[in-house]
Amino acid sequence: MYYLGLIWEYFTNYVKTRLTYRADFWVEVISDLLFQATNLIFIFVVFAHTETLGGFTEAEVVFVYGYFMVPYGLYSCFINLWNFGDRYIVKGEMDRILTRPAHSLFQIFLENLDPPSLIGSVIGIIIMIWSGGQLGLEMEWWYIPVLIIMTIGSTLIYAGIYIILTSVSFYSDSPTGIIPLMVNIQTYGRYPITIYNRAIQIILTWVLPFAFVGIYPAALFLQRQEMMAMAWLTPVMGIVFFTASLLLWNSGVKRYRGAGS
Amino acid sequence: MSSLYLDFIRIRFLTMLAYRVNYYSGILVYTLNIGVYYFTWQAIYGGKEQIAGFTAAQMTTYVAVSWMARAFYFNNLDREIATEIRDGTIAIQFIRPYNYLLVKMMQGFGEGIFRFTMFMIPGMIIAVLLFPVQLPTSPVSWIGFLVMLFFSFLINSQINILIGLMAFFIENNDGLMRMKRVVVDLFSGLLIPISFFPGWLTSIMNFLPFQAITYLPGSVFTGRVQGTGILEVLGIQVIWFLILLIPIYFTWRAARVRLFVQGG
Amino acid sequence: MQAIEVQDLRKNFRIQQSRGGLKGALQDLFAREYREVAAVNDISFTIPQGEICGYIGENGAGKSTTIKMLTGILVPTSGHIKVNGYVPYQEREKFVQGIGVVFGQRSQLWWDIGVIESFQLLRKVYQVSEADFKKRLDELVERLQLQELLSRPVRKLSLGQRMRCELVAALLHNPSIVFLDEPTIGLDIVVKSEIREFLKDLNRTQGTTILLTTHDLQDIEALCSRVIMLDAGSIIYDGGLDDLKTRWGRGREVRFQFGGAVQAAQLNAWTMGLPVTWTQESDLVATALVPADMAVSDVFSRVLGQAEVTDVQISETSTDEIVRQIYSSGSAEKPEEQPHV
Repeated sequence: MYYLGLIWEYFTNYVKTRLTYRADFWVEVISDLLFQATNLIFIFVVFAHTETLGGFTEAEVVFVYGYFMVPYGLYSCFINLWNFGDRYIVKGEMDRILTRPAHSLFQIFLENLDPPSLIGSVIGIIIMIWSGGQLGLEMEWWYIPVLIIMTIGSTLIYAGIYIILTSVSFYSDSPTGIIPLMVNIQTYGRYPITIYNRAIQIILTWVLPFAFVGIYPAALFLQRQEMMAMAWLTPVMGIVFFTASLLLWNSGVKRYRGAGS
Repeated sequence: MSSLYLDFIRIRFLTMLAYRVNYYSGILVYTLNIGVYYFTWQAIYGGKEQIAGFTAAQMTTYVAVSWMARAFYFNNLDREIATEIRDGTIAIQFIRPYNYLLVKMMQGFGEGIFRFTMFMIPGMIIAVLLFPVQLPTSPVSWIGFLVMLFFSFLINSQINILIGLMAFFIENNDGLMRMKRVVVDLFSGLLIPISFFPGWLTSIMNFLPFQAITYLPGSVFTGRVQGTGILEVLGIQVIWFLILLIPIYFTWRAARVRLFVQGG
Repeated sequence: MQAIEVQDLRKNFRIQQSRGGLKGALQDLFAREYREVAAVNDISFTIPQGEICGYIGENGAGKSTTIKMLTGILVPTSGHIKVNGYVPYQEREKFVQGIGVVFGQRSQLWWDIGVIESFQLLRKVYQVSEADFKKRLDELVERLQLQELLSRPVRKLSLGQRMRCELVAALLHNPSIVFLDEPTIGLDIVVKSEIREFLKDLNRTQGTTILLTTHDLQDIEALCSRVIMLDAGSIIYDGGLDDLKTRWGRGREVRFQFGGAVQAAQLNAWTMGLPVTWTQESDLVATALVPADMAVSDVFSRVLGQAEVTDVQISETSTDEIVRQIYSSGSAEKPEEQPHV
């Protein structure tokens, strides 16, 4: 309850800050959307030259992309760790965080809330409905609860991966951290994973499990039998990865407090 | 004077060496990137001989060399400049007896040399071992490619500087920087060669500077452009380099006016 | 009860040894060398509740490291700490409810929003009830005269205004111990003395324990009954400020301006038998150093009869000077030999 209250407080503060920079708000929303649009362009261009990709049609790949946008939007809104190393470690704001009575990671989430990202989630749902229509998918009663469960699972995985990568900042001396390197990799889970060779499949399933934030859970709605089992693993992986990331974060903070700066 | 600028190159090179974790993870990530796109294109080609003027073998080489070129020309000058503008340290840069943008360029180049020797060369060796990459046989292609690679760096850095300077005019240019990153990756031909785009989009992109970053040098490396054709594509890069100086000049001038009037 | 208890506290840092040059940097990429440095070297002290204690030392002496350990940011390498009945680095979230921290160089307010919004947010973070918050805020705002500032965004405040708001932010949850890391840095004299008055009041009316680090010894003189001096990670002095002055003060300096030329030999002859040291600036100006246990009037009675004196100035050794001497000698033990001028 304490933490829920804090989310609301920080959110209202975010709104107040944003109202002072209204022009920026729209620049941000539009650039976010263009970011998504360029990804869709890739899909359209590729399918101009081929009928199917790894047995998936264009509409199916677009549907997967739509699914991806939903957890991605949630993640970007609540778990924005993009500038962690620079702001909190190099500029030393971590010290201030540690003098306050709430979990350090949670405080950092709150200070970096980014509600406009949620627009991406909404567009993702629209894309799913649109491409689902093209595929002739019938809306079934279980779609909504399952979508919610899968979205939570995927968001937790996404959060877990990035919290783990951010925790590296506690061990590394680089101000930017290694997150920028991952920008391209996160997109790979959106394509039919079977087109890659074994090693890359293993990486995208178990090491940097971006496939659970795209192809696996989406395959459930596309009724792809071959990925059913993996799809249902999504919430499990979410819990496992998120828990692991919290442990790593806590040990990183411990190290920070042990090593100082 | 010039030795001062050389020092900026040297210092940045040494700084890059200090970030171990970034170095090791960078090598792995770039190999993974090449791998993913190699297999994606394999799947797209299926049994086809040729798509949009690229044979499957050329495509493999193109993917490897574009990613490795990116490992070289990539830098974070936009973020660095934006950060210095936002936290106000840019004001100090104005009172120093050097040209700020030139210094940034030199720092970027120091990073580039690091990336070239420590990332691109070892990365290329790994890529050649793992995937069926065909290296050019003609020395002219090699020389042409290396010269063009340098211009890739210049043009990419110019775009970064322009985007970074935007922080003078919009309070939060994070979105813009993120967008630039994606646009450069897509429209430079890194993710898809320009000739794959639908005709109307290709002709638009022929009028944009992005193709000069990846697509043109990549075409030389894969042997799709040879002989005097190399001079032609190099000419396009040089023209873009010169054209981009103009907006940088005006943005910089406007930025200085803004800084002096508003105090940053 | 003791507010702060510190026993054999130590903090080692591992510092990477960079090898010089390109070759060294390449070696560092694959294998690194480290060196252990003790930033805080087995220090012990206790601070009773309700005391204002000054914590001073040169840059890099280990002040900030100590404060960071006392506030639970850093975990010590060894030794015991107890603050407010808690071990700060364990149960961090519970412990920080009871302390307030101000970093003079770093803001804890949100940059873009009104000051009052930051306070509201901190109220939620520290779970202060609406009634307590209102009462406390009213008091603080009244006392520090912040009424006008509350609705302004932090980035529009002057440094002095911001620092007063920082103090409020650190005190909203009514902490019983307050840590201030260079609270007066960069402020003008008026704001400095306002803040000193405020802290003194706070200590008197609420019994708040205050530990502050500073480079401005006037802060210490105005506020602290006690001072802990740190050098290279070790405590070199811990005690009253007056004590420090009497132990270290070199007495008083009496500067005479004469009507006619005076020789050095004459000066010494006049004060024959007294423990006075003379320094001559010119034929017409000389200064006598008078030890603390001797009356200045004794020197006057000797000198005034002998020569025409046009002006006299008496000055005491300032705390600044004392501390400068201690820093440069690296020990608060009074040196055997008085440094002769």
